[in-house]
Amino acid sequence: MIKKLSDLEHYLLSKKIHATLVVVAARDTNVLEAVLKAKKTGIVDIILVGNRSEIEGLFSEHGYDLCEIEIIDEPDDVAAGYRAVELIRDGKAHILMNGQESYFGISIISKPILDRNYGIQKGKTMSHVALFELENYHKLIAVTDVAINILPDLRTKTAIVDNAVFLMRRFGIDTPKVAVLAAVEVVNELMPATMHAAMLSKMAQRGQIKNCVIDGPLAFDNAISKRNAIHKGIVNEVSGDVDILLAPDIETAGMMYEAFVLFENAHAASITVGATAPVVLTTKLDTPETRFNSILLSVCTYL
Amino acid sequence: MITKLSDIFKRIETQQNKKKLAVVAAHDPHVLDAVSRAHQDGIIDAILIGDKAKINKIIEDNNYCLNETTIIDEPDNTEAVNHAVNMVREGNADILMKGIIDSATFLRPILRKNGGLGNGEIASSVALFEIKNYHKLLALTDGGLVISPDLKAKTGIIKNAVKLMRNLDIPRPKIAVLGAFELVSESMSATIDAALLSKMASRGQIKNCIVDGPLSFSNVISSKSAMLKGFESEVAGDADVIIAPNIEAANVLYKAFVHLAGALPAAVVMGASIPLVLTSRADSEDIKLNSIKLSASVGPFSD
Repeated sequence: MIKKLSDLEHYLLSKKIHATLVVVAARDTNVLEAVLKAKKTGIVDIILVGNRSEIEGLFSEHGYDLCEIEIIDEPDDVAAGYRAVELIRDGKAHILMNGQESYFGISIISKPILDRNYGIQKGKTMSHVALFELENYHKLIAVTDVAINILPDLRTKTAIVDNAVFLMRRFGIDTPKVAVLAAVEVVNELMPATMHAAMLSKMAQRGQIKNCVIDGPLAFDNAISKRNAIHKGIVNEVSGDVDILLAPDIETAGMMYEAFVLFENAHAASITVGATAPVVLTTKLDTPETRFNSILLSVCTYL
Repeated sequence: MITKLSDIFKRIETQQNKKKLAVVAAHDPHVLDAVSRAHQDGIIDAILIGDKAKINKIIEDNNYCLNETTIIDEPDNTEAVNHAVNMVREGNADILMKGIIDSATFLRPILRKNGGLGNGEIASSVALFEIKNYHKLLALTDGGLVISPDLKAKTGIIKNAVKLMRNLDIPRPKIAVLGAFELVSESMSATIDAALLSKMASRGQIKNCIVDGPLSFSNVISSKSAMLKGFESEVAGDADVIIAPNIEAANVLYKAFVHLAGALPAAVVMGASIPLVLTSRADSEDIKLNSIKLSASVGPFSD
């Protein structure tokens, strides 16, 4: 089992996993540097789709090595997205990455991904999973959904859990433990988050959501600390040993992400799951380490 | 584990004093029939509150053995209930039975918190069954009083049933919340409520019981059915109480047990500090007598 994100590289190399990463509108140097570092590990091959002369200019300006990197010339950003998605559909690339960072969101590549005819979403729910290595926690922990689903209904939450479970199982965690977070740990008809939590718990018990154990509602401290949970009279498999934190909404997820990074010195890796291929969407606020880890994390989905 | 109603009724024999059963609006020939039998069999001492002239006429016309019973002349129904409630509060009555008065008028003063016998909970009817193919006594609620219970009402219904079972020395009864099947479906509120109630019990919001649901009727009776469907349940195959989603389901199940399984139930209405007997004309004489016997075997109920 991987306990640290820094183990990802070795883990992937030992499993001899190899994948092709395609970058859309590859003009952000932060992205390029992460991509090149990943290439150097030997785990990924790179295809850059974008303005060829712009890309070549960037490479020469920064002294990057163009060796063994395929460039597909497509100056229009949206068209570049469609081209990249086509490569995924044709099996020529396995991971999609946004080459033009912004501060939030899916941005330019969302349209081709979601396209009904040419896209790779295939009617499934996509969701973002952030994987953290925390100083004060004994294993990797996932937070979802920080970036894509704003106020998920029950059905969407089910898909969000499925996606996160899928990811954790790549690391050999057969039956990930999911904590459904709420403000309180009791069912309250005035608090939809608590009702969803109770329903999700039961759905996992009934096998409607597979391969995981779900408990909720749980307040954050009851999810993370078994002692706190027992203090409140909550005895369950999940508290203190949670693998996935399911937030009730994007605000909660986002603030957990920021709190982990700012207060806990967390190492992070992010990935968007649910399409036929993983999507790496980095933002301007990410560290170089996060970008690199995110690429490796996306390769893990092929384990 | 209780397998027979007669095991419960044995308590009557060891009572120091016979329980005092007060009938409200007692000028009801059907009720007086059952009461006179109970009185004759030495199960209870009867107090008849109602229109004295009418009561005496009924006793005379039918030759009921109610000679030494106290008759309190109170033709007004509401006054009759109030009188009965005061009798209980003064320790002069242990059980209240409904005569020829509508249920709402009967229950309202009884369930009052201030000056009444209630504690803020709703009133609900619990029927106890000996079922041929089931290994122990099975309680069913609510086939007679609460029509379309919402989550709050279902909580009250469960609490009442738990109170009764604990009075029968079953300290942590297993409660099955019935649905059309055992999966949580957003379009089926019975299954949603079941999931919420399960979680509320595990969080201690409903105390002293194990709640599982949704469970289909076959899951309730047979643990093999749950195994075939591939889920684990502490309650499946070993339920003490069935919570029906509405009055129709409970009533139909009740009648099916009686007419097709030959069951002779005993029913009591819970919600007050003492047992309440509300029989219906559809009940046979034996069932009415069983209900009186049950009311004499249980209570008073504390919080």
